Amino acid sequence: MAVTLAGRRRQIEQLTRCNPISEEQVKRLCFKAREILIEEANVQVVDSPVTICGDIHGQFYDLMELFKVGGFCPETNYLFMGDFVDRGFYSVETFLLLLALKVRYPDRITLIRGNHESRQITQVYGFYDECVRKYGSTNVWRWCCEVFDYLALAAIVDGRVFCVHGGLSPNLQSIDQIRAIDRKQEVPHDGPMCDLLWSDPDEISGWGISPRGAGFLFGSDITKKFAHENAIDLIARAHQLAMEGYKLMFDGTIVTVWSAPNYCYRCGNVASILELDEHLAQEYKVFTHAPSDVRSIPAKRPLADYFL
Amino acid sequence: MAAAVAVPQHKLSETPNSRAIEIHDWLITASTNSISNAVECDALQSHLGFSLPEMTFGNNYLTLEHRKSAWKMAFDARGALMGVRRGELQDGDGGVKVGYADAWLKSRTDPGTNLPLPTTVAAKPYDWTYTTVYSGHHPSTGTELSSSASWEDADPENSTHDIPLAELTRPDPILFYAEIPLYEDELHDNGSSNLLVRIRVMPTCFFILARFILRVDNVLFRIHDTRIYHSFSSNPPLVVRQVSGWEAPYDRMKRQLPRRNDLTPLTDANWIAKVLSEMPVEATQKAGAGTRWRGLRTKLEVVVLNKSDP
Repeated sequence: MAVTLAGRRRQIEQLTRCNPISEEQVKRLCFKAREILIEEANVQVVDSPVTICGDIHGQFYDLMELFKVGGFCPETNYLFMGDFVDRGFYSVETFLLLLALKVRYPDRITLIRGNHESRQITQVYGFYDECVRKYGSTNVWRWCCEVFDYLALAAIVDGRVFCVHGGLSPNLQSIDQIRAIDRKQEVPHDGPMCDLLWSDPDEISGWGISPRGAGFLFGSDITKKFAHENAIDLIARAHQLAMEGYKLMFDGTIVTVWSAPNYCYRCGNVASILELDEHLAQEYKVFTHAPSDVRSIPAKRPLADYFL
Repeated sequence: MAAAVAVPQHKLSETPNSRAIEIHDWLITASTNSISNAVECDALQSHLGFSLPEMTFGNNYLTLEHRKSAWKMAFDARGALMGVRRGELQDGDGGVKVGYADAWLKSRTDPGTNLPLPTTVAAKPYDWTYTTVYSGHHPSTGTELSSSASWEDADPENSTHDIPLAELTRPDPILFYAEIPLYEDELHDNGSSNLLVRIRVMPTCFFILARFILRVDNVLFRIHDTRIYHSFSSNPPLVVRQVSGWEAPYDRMKRQLPRRNDLTPLTDANWIAKVLSEMPVEATQKAGAGTRWRGLRTKLEVVVLNKSDP
């Protein structure tokens, strides 16, 4: 069944007020989103100017702060680097709003996949529970997970800024190799697709294995080599909390952008977005969390408890 | 309900980031702040030699000062993280890997794999679970209290050398209450590591619980609790400390779930602590999760405050 443009506009308005849409509407929205995303490349090509955003984690009212600072879509061209869901209280509204914008303005917003856009992770970190609580069934969660499988793995702005959720993989020397991955699946536990969504830059040289026993760390030399061989100026990634909202490393070849202020409603950190103008000049806009009087953010002071 | 106990004189004070109570001979201060900023993190990280927990509350603290004897005790993130193993893990450290580590490594090292492992450098090893048996420190000297001579093993014959549950479960008014997070880390979505200090000051006593709680998905649960109790009526003034550690394999805890399909208790610290501490100690303090972690034990110590320090 076709949804009119007016219908899509109403949907966006409703979601912008943090009101969830009906289960039937979610089903249609996810179906339409999949049709759009299936046409996108693993490495989605994006033109500047564009505003690059990091993790949101269901902090809906902070996403509204982000839009206040960066402008709303479609006036501003956005690229979100994944981790839309989990941990915050409004993963459903956050993801559906971004998806509704994607369906309405497919050329003005790019969504790439984070490690939380996964069936396994969302069952542990909140999105699954939130869907069941808000809709009384697992349908919405299942439809959203199907959309996750179609999200692009990376993006490249003007051929010169490479954007990915986590980082690099030892099995991917060139951006062209990413284009050969079959991405339409659950995030695997190993392999290059997993690395793109999970790995971290670290102050080492070469590749390292995380002390956790799985997952890669990559050093300055690896980062610079990748940038040089692929003729890119900057790698933008998310995935790790940065207290100042962003963190440049390795002589400015890589930046972590973090867009969830006061992460988990208690970290007190600021967040940022990265604006790239038409010459790819970088401007980091820092913002703070939504005033705590907007809806059910936990009170700052804990209630006295007769703990033992 | 009429107050069962008389409320002693006390003075509360407050600044935006800290609160204090003066009661009897004690000054107790709790400070809660945002996580450390990048400059503070870099400084602490270079001091410790490993990556900090994602949320490090480096400016938070709880301090206790007994003015008559000048005895002081503190809890803070720096002290707690100094108890985390830096370098290769050794016997007793209870080191673990993430649940899928073997599968992950195998996929990279199997003969004929199309994903050969690159030459890797050893990333600075440390205990990525941030396990610590920290149970507070002396702020003046910075040394671990546990190694200090001032704590002595409790005398099992002495009834004051214990934490009286009856008194602590009595609904007396809470005069002062604080929760002071020291650090938290989601272990890169492989679980959770968390150290939280809580204090409540009652008309007759104060009570502190510093709880480290670890979940490594599909691997284990681990708790390290430090409880500190002081009765204002103890004479000479006596502080009792109970230190306990428990551990259980993940699957064993999962079998204790009230409803098989509802996994939410596995992220509830109170549920985990209740189940772990109520299981037989043969399971949780002897066998544990098979890690041979040194923290698996319960010990009770006391310190008498009017002794003059040598």
